[in-house]
Amino acid sequence: MKVLLVGDGARENVLAHSLEKSTKGYKVYALSTYINPGINSVVKTTGGEYFIGNINSPEIVKEVIKKVNPDFGVVGPEDPLFRGIADVFRQEGIPVFGANKKCARIEESKAWARELMWKYSIPGRLRYKVFYTIEHAAKFILEYGGSVAVKPAGQAGGKGVKVIADLEAYLTQDKREALTKSVNDIGSLYNKEGEPRIIIEEKVDGPEYTLHVLTDGKTTIPLPLAQDYKNAYQDGIGPETGGMGSISGPTELLPFINSEEYQTTYDIVKRTIDAIYKETGENYVGVIAGQMMLTELWGPTVIEYYSRLGDPEASAIIPRIESDFGEIIEFTATGHLSKARIKLNDQPSIVKAIATLGYPISKQMASGRKIVLDLDKMKEHGCMVFFGSVALEGMQLITKGSRALEIVAIGDFREASENLDKCIQYVNSDTKLIYRTDIGRTVEYQIEKAEIIRYSYKNREKRGILGVSADWSPNGGLW
Amino acid sequence: MAGILGILAFDDVWNVSRFLYYGLIGLQHRGYSRSGIAILNKQRNIFTKLENVAPEDLEIKDLNGWAGIGYAGIRNSYPMTVDNGAIVVDGIIDDTNILNQVIKEPEKIIDEIKKPISFIAISKEGQLIAYRDELGLKPLSIGGFGFDLAVISSEPTSMLVIGAEFKREINPGELVIVDKYHIESKQIRMPRKSYCTIEYVYQARIDSMVNEKDIYDLRVKIGEELALEYPIKADSVIGVPETALPFAIGYSRKLNIPLDLGFTRTGSPIRTMLSSDAFLKVVGVQLKLNPIKSAVKGKRIILIDDSMVTGTTLKNTIFNLRKLGAKELHVLIGSPKLISQCPYGVEVPEEKELISANLDDEKIARVLGADSIHWLSLEGLFRVIGHRNLCLGCMTKKYPW
Repeated sequence: MKVLLVGDGARENVLAHSLEKSTKGYKVYALSTYINPGINSVVKTTGGEYFIGNINSPEIVKEVIKKVNPDFGVVGPEDPLFRGIADVFRQEGIPVFGANKKCARIEESKAWARELMWKYSIPGRLRYKVFYTIEHAAKFILEYGGSVAVKPAGQAGGKGVKVIADLEAYLTQDKREALTKSVNDIGSLYNKEGEPRIIIEEKVDGPEYTLHVLTDGKTTIPLPLAQDYKNAYQDGIGPETGGMGSISGPTELLPFINSEEYQTTYDIVKRTIDAIYKETGENYVGVIAGQMMLTELWGPTVIEYYSRLGDPEASAIIPRIESDFGEIIEFTATGHLSKARIKLNDQPSIVKAIATLGYPISKQMASGRKIVLDLDKMKEHGCMVFFGSVALEGMQLITKGSRALEIVAIGDFREASENLDKCIQYVNSDTKLIYRTDIGRTVEYQIEKAEIIRYSYKNREKRGILGVSADWSPNGGLW
Repeated sequence: MAGILGILAFDDVWNVSRFLYYGLIGLQHRGYSRSGIAILNKQRNIFTKLENVAPEDLEIKDLNGWAGIGYAGIRNSYPMTVDNGAIVVDGIIDDTNILNQVIKEPEKIIDEIKKPISFIAISKEGQLIAYRDELGLKPLSIGGFGFDLAVISSEPTSMLVIGAEFKREINPGELVIVDKYHIESKQIRMPRKSYCTIEYVYQARIDSMVNEKDIYDLRVKIGEELALEYPIKADSVIGVPETALPFAIGYSRKLNIPLDLGFTRTGSPIRTMLSSDAFLKVVGVQLKLNPIKSAVKGKRIILIDDSMVTGTTLKNTIFNLRKLGAKELHVLIGSPKLISQCPYGVEVPEEKELISANLDDEKIARVLGADSIHWLSLEGLFRVIGHRNLCLGCMTKKYPW
């Protein structure tokens, strides 16, 4: 069977890897914007072909579909989904793993996602306001009380989120001034005619986790939980990134999320799939994820939705799946998900992303750097390597400005992080490498944090006030 | 001893001056008679402000920048201007000229400074450079504020004050460099842990975590240990505010003797031990701690304090409690005897000023006017802390460096 994979990051490398490993003997064809060394190797081994071109262009994708005539397609990243690349496959009569443009709006427009949650009373929703102009958002920040998260109203590659806990009255002014100044930047990240630019919502706190759910429009299957580490630098300090690493497991849970919370989260995502159907009239086919936080307000609370697999969460989850994940992708695309069974390696996994100096603040500084690695040695130490924002140019690996590699180890958290430490020694560059030393090492701390949050939301549950909150300030009044 | 602090914003929309200011207030229990802030602005200039005042009295209106360092201490004038930046130091350095190279060659300087110090420097290039001595005598922690700030501080208390999250203690012998683009840490010297005992029993705030211990828990346990070592029949336990209150709570719990609040405070919570002037010290205590008559009248009292230097303040306290009708007064000290000075900058005076270095217990009790006096034993201290990697120089005259 021929599969056409669209995308170029580490997530697509993981997907390609599962297709390669499958007993169904898939021939993997791929379309990327540059030659991803990992995908390239899969394409070669399976006897497919590698196409280089704009993955966001419906015309180019259509051309490649015509050339390959695949049995099914896989669209990895969100941007092609937003541009209707999955729709192109379906228009050509090719089943595809990937949400239609209308369904992917759950990720593309944060404003729409929130509106949906409120309209359908989906639990785990936060109070929010949308703003069409930067001036109004800035005014709101200065006038209203409470701790807030300020975000671009649409997906902006995980960029631009500012979160301000306003618990110290004596610093309120300074924090709000900084926020007001950043509103310009945040507002420039998502700028679509006729749509809100900025969202301000109540700020919550707690351990974050992600639940991915596979759906073919009829059947849903939840994947094991994963947690991604957003701060760029070690110990959870530094600017926001798409994720500098992740953990998954043990079992389908995480050490700080119990099975009841897992179930509640699954229900939230299922209700979201239903709501999307009711709003758009389209079946959701592919993967939808709730990027969650355990909060004292709701317990499981939605921070964002993904319309695709999270990156680097995919690298933590998929290697733990022992059943034929390549086939599960096919089942999802073709509407046979009811036939799929997930058999899981109960041991946890850890992923570390490696970027070059400059990431995430200066893409330019992080681009065009050489990376050298000893794959065999890394494998000897029990690590898998997936290639992300790094291209094979001639015989060299050249960075493209984002996270270049994701390395994965399976085993209990301590053992896995030690293996990863060893593997990182085999990665070199002509500049400094940026990666976090603490991934998988702060589990105890998060267990404690979750336990404290659990007291409060259980108490709210008992009193029947889950999700009830408000802020008040003399200038802004109640919201 | 001193409180040192460094804050760096990853995005220069931030003005961190007020964060430094409030962060320093969260450290002023470590020294409040001199304080200062150095701040780096967008034009890569560093402005420094230092005065002989407590951090809360520092005038910061003109300071504006996205990164900076701060100091709250007693003797030294920090932040000190160095080549290409500024620096704050916790500890004693004989020749501060050496610090001029700290920004260019931090590792070399660390090698040359033969003293246990922690420091934080800021460079004009926008780097925070922090180091903790290999003995861990001087505490240092790192934390963050959302996606926006990195914070390095003597104690997590300053992070709590500004809403930042404490992440971890910096290891003894570890150098940490923070700039916009990365955080790098390097173990420059192998740790030879020898934590300052005074941090545990007196110096650190009770909402802190220092030297791998939650200070409040540890001090309650010291109180319980005192109860095991010296169970005294009494009607009430009173702790000298504020540092000795957790000891009193532990003692009271263990022996089921009620805890009373024997004092109320007048004026600001400055720390008497830090005052260099003996007269001010007495004024400080008497002004600060006013005993409450109905809490002590007709009662046999256990009075717990964290340490005793000359005994003068305790003598006055006991006199005042007797005057209000205390029937018996037994004094317990939540630390072993102080018998020698600290060469590393903790405010323990020289031997001739230390009452317990010069008199035996019976004589001390006579001086104080107490019915009895007892100190936490060294073994008791080890039991509570759970290890012996401690600097006990002021209690044993054996110094680790």
